[in-house]
Amino acid sequence: MIDDFDGIKTMAKKAELHRVVVTGLGVVSSIGTGRELFWNRLVAGCSGIDAVSSFDTSKFGVHSGAEIREFDPVPYLLRFLPSDIGRASQFAIAAARLAISDGNLCITEKDSNTFGVVVGTTSGEPGVIEQFDNDCATGHPERTSRRFISTYPCHVLASHVAAELGLGGEVVTIPTACAAGNHAIARAYDELRFGKAEIMLAGGADSFSRITYAGFARLGAISPDICQPFDLNRKGMIPGEGAAFLLLETADHAQRRSARVYAEIAGYGLSCDAHHMTAAHPEAEGGVRAMQLALGLAGIRPESVDYISAHGTGTPTNDRLEAIAIKKVFGEGAQRVPISSIKSMLGHTMGAASAIEAVACTLAISEGCIPPTINLFHPDPECDLDFVPLIGRTQKVDVALNNAYAFGGNNSSVVFARYKD
Amino acid sequence: MGRKVVITGIGLISPLGESAEGVFAALCNGKSAVRYQEDSNPTCAVGCHLAARLIDFKAEKYLPGRPLRPLDRISQMAAASCSLALQNSKSNYTNPARVEFPLVLGTMFGGMHTIGDFDRAALLSGPASVSPMAFANTVINAAAGQTAIWHKLRGSNTTVATGSTSGVSAVGHALELIQREKVAVVLAGGADECSFESFLGFSRAGLLCTNSSHAEMPIPFDDRRNGFALGEGAVILVLEDLDHASKRGAVPLAELRGYAAAFDVSQGKNPSQTVSALARSMRMAIDRSGLALDDIGFVSASANGSVLQDCCELSALCGVFGDRAERLPVTAIKCGTGETLGASGALQITVAIQTLKTQELPGIIGLEKLPPGCRMRGILPTTRRIKAHTGLINGVGMDGNCCSLVIVGLD
Repeated sequence: MIDDFDGIKTMAKKAELHRVVVTGLGVVSSIGTGRELFWNRLVAGCSGIDAVSSFDTSKFGVHSGAEIREFDPVPYLLRFLPSDIGRASQFAIAAARLAISDGNLCITEKDSNTFGVVVGTTSGEPGVIEQFDNDCATGHPERTSRRFISTYPCHVLASHVAAELGLGGEVVTIPTACAAGNHAIARAYDELRFGKAEIMLAGGADSFSRITYAGFARLGAISPDICQPFDLNRKGMIPGEGAAFLLLETADHAQRRSARVYAEIAGYGLSCDAHHMTAAHPEAEGGVRAMQLALGLAGIRPESVDYISAHGTGTPTNDRLEAIAIKKVFGEGAQRVPISSIKSMLGHTMGAASAIEAVACTLAISEGCIPPTINLFHPDPECDLDFVPLIGRTQKVDVALNNAYAFGGNNSSVVFARYKD
Repeated sequence: MGRKVVITGIGLISPLGESAEGVFAALCNGKSAVRYQEDSNPTCAVGCHLAARLIDFKAEKYLPGRPLRPLDRISQMAAASCSLALQNSKSNYTNPARVEFPLVLGTMFGGMHTIGDFDRAALLSGPASVSPMAFANTVINAAAGQTAIWHKLRGSNTTVATGSTSGVSAVGHALELIQREKVAVVLAGGADECSFESFLGFSRAGLLCTNSSHAEMPIPFDDRRNGFALGEGAVILVLEDLDHASKRGAVPLAELRGYAAAFDVSQGKNPSQTVSALARSMRMAIDRSGLALDDIGFVSASANGSVLQDCCELSALCGVFGDRAERLPVTAIKCGTGETLGASGALQITVAIQTLKTQELPGIIGLEKLPPGCRMRGILPTTRRIKAHTGLINGVGMDGNCCSLVIVGLD
């Protein structure tokens, strides 16, 4: 709530750093492409989860996924042909273009040399190596495409966005699995805060992957039907795909061009459990630390947080541990903070997830509405917090916290706040 | 940006040796790790037989006492180089502060071989048969995650991917984390392995050196070059705030001063744009270091034998250094190490540290003739003595990424 804004301003002023604002949003998701459609369907509780169609799941035992149907990359591609680049790059370019046009930005020559892109991802372009594997597994390595090596490695996500849009600044992909979107936003925030650039695109992208699906199925982590974060009967996560970008600027730059400001980035916290590759720390030690670091950097007290976008994958252990982490950070106040997991609708979009959730946090602030956790019919007594079940909520949000956790023990939290001069 | 950032430890796993001194000595003596590969499966199909491979890497030598099975090969390489770096920096293993060290690892492919193997196993034997342990390593940040688990590093854990410049990007980012007064120590470097997948992929793209009648080895900047040879390795550097290092009695090896990156939006398709992006990154890195062009005593080039990129780097150096370019001492270590992709930038830094210390610059092995019209007489096949207090490290990617880093010697 309001009283901490002076905190943010003081922290920024003390070190003579720039404030960083969100001025454009672009989303490609299984419930809709573009900010408006995405948000309307999100707060209405629409689900993008359906039977997987991009590959045969008959041998997997589970069949649900959150794929993007009927995505047409052509309107977003001026430089590349759809066949030049992988599906994740297509999503990324579409989301980036949407963020630029949503931010009503004309990229000037002056901007373009320092305008950078940071993209988070889990798998990069898995479709490209899956094709390679099809050829190799059937005894035909010689069929390997000449373009395999220039379209597969994950850095191409950021490079393709930069090439398509003509951006000549720092162009980086951060493949830190399911926390990658938050990592990318944190990195871009620092580039801007410390004056290395005035404008950046930060986000995440991942395409539906047979490799990811096989792995999570083998771990027994995929739900046979729907995704029910924090529900007593939750059966697992649902793999998904998508992309989102946030157009980030220094407050000065945004002001000079009279840009509409959705919200401000107030701080972030990153930590590593250093405990296990796939299992979270049993006491959620790293998750607690990430939230505390983020709030500390933002200069915001826990009781000022109005909304938490949970990592909330829908697996029994992860949801329970996230509830524990939130209780440790927020104490008794944990009961009062609305928390929701939009993965209940979008599935787990991997490296894109926290970028899409960052868009949700930003819009929660600008639109005064909190998206629901759908499919939450029977609250789990071990997750006894306000998870905004079933129906979205109209409520003023001044401060939103975005959590994301990942393989490799990565924990990340980013704080968004209403922007005030 | 008041803080001075120094390197206080080096850990490296490379076919040329396991110490910075060893790799440097090999390069100075004209030894290359690039070998004719008799056995490598895909070479038959594509006509390239050259690579610098890490043949006898035994992870248990560096990572004793615990089961290594959860770590795939690239994770073992990264964790091993981290062990060496921590030992080299005399970072007290019982020091509780160590657990807060952030790790920034650059990689182009991560565990691409693990990923491909996992997928092919699922295709051939069914998805129920795949190993959950292998799945954990199919994320691109597996090497960084496994290194953090092995060494109990609980600070932020970041993997940086900018293609073959990932190592320079990772160290540059780590430098900025300390300059921005967020942390006192960061572990940073890069790792990539030479795999069936990468070998086949680069061969099919026509980027690898084929054994032509002219050149038996990939020779950076040489007029006869026709591609690069893949290499592999892992490097971790300990970056530290100078005050912090002095207080704990650590020995600084060199100072890292300024980092910059620029992107060529033509992605290498328009050489003049590649040249201007690289020129921009060099100028910005020098500018951010608070130095002038004349302060740069030598350049560690990214050149690897690629037909186009090497040429662009020469043009950019001429453009940036003007008249001085003719005399500017330039080396290119990929003649000896091969193109180690994500590890290459950090390897260049370790060699540059030795150059600053010994004032010797390794020659470019096999170099006979620069491209027509190139007047840069400071590019030589022979190792020579130079007088240099400051070096410039370049990373030039295959599809647009350019970055530069300034390294300064300590008196």
